Amino acid sequence: MGSRIEILNDDGYRSDGRRQYELREITMDLSHRGTADGSAMITHGLTQVLVTVFGPREAKMRSQTLHDRAVLNVEVSIAPFSTGERRKRSRGDKRILELGSAIKSTFEPVVQTSLYPRSGIDIYVHILQQDGGLMQASINATTLALVSAGIPLLDLVCAVTGGVHSSSPMLDLTTLEENDIPHLTVAVMPKSGKVTLVTMETRLHVDRFGDIFKLACEAGQVIHKEMKKAVKARTQRLVDAMDTAPRAHGGYADRDIEMD
Amino acid sequence: MASISKSERSYIQTSLHSTPALRADGRGLFDFRSVFLETGIAPLANGSARVNVGKSPQEGGGGTEVIAAVKLEVEDVQSGDGVDGGRIACNVSCSPAAYSHVPSNSLDDLQYDYTTVLHQALSHPTLHPKNLGILPKKKAWLLNLDVTILSDAGNAFDVMFMAARAALWDTKVPKTRSVQYAGKKPARVPDENMDVDDISAGLSGFDTRDLSVATDFELADTWDEGEPLEGRDRWPVCISLNIDPPVYYLDATLPEEAATPLRLILLFAFPSSSSPVLQSMKLLGPGELLLSRIKDYLSEGEKYARGLFNALDSKLREEDLRRTQKARSKFSVR
Repeated sequence: MGSRIEILNDDGYRSDGRRQYELREITMDLSHRGTADGSAMITHGLTQVLVTVFGPREAKMRSQTLHDRAVLNVEVSIAPFSTGERRKRSRGDKRILELGSAIKSTFEPVVQTSLYPRSGIDIYVHILQQDGGLMQASINATTLALVSAGIPLLDLVCAVTGGVHSSSPMLDLTTLEENDIPHLTVAVMPKSGKVTLVTMETRLHVDRFGDIFKLACEAGQVIHKEMKKAVKARTQRLVDAMDTAPRAHGGYADRDIEMD
Repeated sequence: MASISKSERSYIQTSLHSTPALRADGRGLFDFRSVFLETGIAPLANGSARVNVGKSPQEGGGGTEVIAAVKLEVEDVQSGDGVDGGRIACNVSCSPAAYSHVPSNSLDDLQYDYTTVLHQALSHPTLHPKNLGILPKKKAWLLNLDVTILSDAGNAFDVMFMAARAALWDTKVPKTRSVQYAGKKPARVPDENMDVDDISAGLSGFDTRDLSVATDFELADTWDEGEPLEGRDRWPVCISLNIDPPVYYLDATLPEEAATPLRLILLFAFPSSSSPVLQSMKLLGPGELLLSRIKDYLSEGEKYARGLFNALDSKLREEDLRRTQKARSKFSVR
């Protein structure tokens, strides 16, 4: 008879040693990948998601272009080795299509698509490792990738998962916790406080919903701070790299160089 | 890059045929771009690796990037799809990010092409590892090798096989212990006439077969993930010769691939105990080749494949060392 893993023990610790409102370790990697215009890899604890963005450019499906704005195209692929048990999902899998369309509707009001009529922005999401918080990680990584691609956004979108374990709210759930307790994902725009996505697939009592929703919105602010730090660090490195590049003699980069 | 203009093609071909041969990035005909390799990138998998060829240094992007991961599953030989001794199944998926201008139907075709080449090469009986069985004729391991191409900057076949080899090298098979269920022995009534050498009914003294009576297995509780997959030195390396008669060259970029009519893909294995083996050969493209020249290409290809094999080998050993040493030093710090 194995011991049952406690979601939240009496001293207030969760199964992975975190506190109730503690988020997992976040790393954000904005380095350039392949030929993408923007790319970002984010890890929330053990969940790792890579997003690459191409665009704005000629849309893949010409028939779906709009005359007055750009079209967002989101394609999600889940690596078969991302979970403990290998599971190969085809590209047309319903769960994958649902994830893709949720990400698309999250970013439609945020990306300033009216600046790029008749073009397309392609967002490719690769899920490399899963340990809960899939939607959260995908949305955060997409935000960073769009920023890295230089696509104008109204605001950064930060997402957090939250759940309730017998009236105690918890943030940033792992797979173990997601399988056990009702949970939801909230994506907020921190500056205005507006919410662009709320999804919940489990049953939760209405009285509990208000608390966890508010809590998740506040947690979005924390993630926003981390994102700003990462973007600033990346931009700083790029600026430093430009500064140290060799200049034309005399120090005036715009002057023509005379070749003898 | 499937299409290339006539002038671009002529530009590339003329420079390749000139003396000395010129390539767009200044490499020699037989120079590889820089290869980045890392094993153990997917901790949930039994073995994994990421290879990037041609990435710009200092956090640059680009290059052909491939991730490979191995996952082991238990299969039932009698009732399921299992084969006694285990089996290997390979699968390649091309990320739409790598082939963004290719429509999704063609992407499926491309994936299927790569999958067939990889699977036929690696699931060959001569390469079959010996430690994939668990219980003879009852349970065996199914080795799933999943390769994902994240970006393609030319020479995808070579990089794909490099990643597959690295992931297979990194694979650890969990140790199992066979379990036998012993029924309760019936209580014996003491009887003066009982024969001391009474053997249970059904078993003859002349039966000298060594029958395995194990019915199930359990995972041995060890500190490591298992023993390495057998046959590490037998996995082949791939070398693609891009042939534009009379010259041939290695490690083509996308424009070069589009400009060269013929590609000869060779898979060489260099087992430590015997002479090199040509595992597989494939000719791609609309060009034609003289039969007499093929032999020359094979021996030249073997030379370069051996160089690649040795370099890969030393890097893989270095990776093994890094991960075990790193783990140990981490623990000692605590």
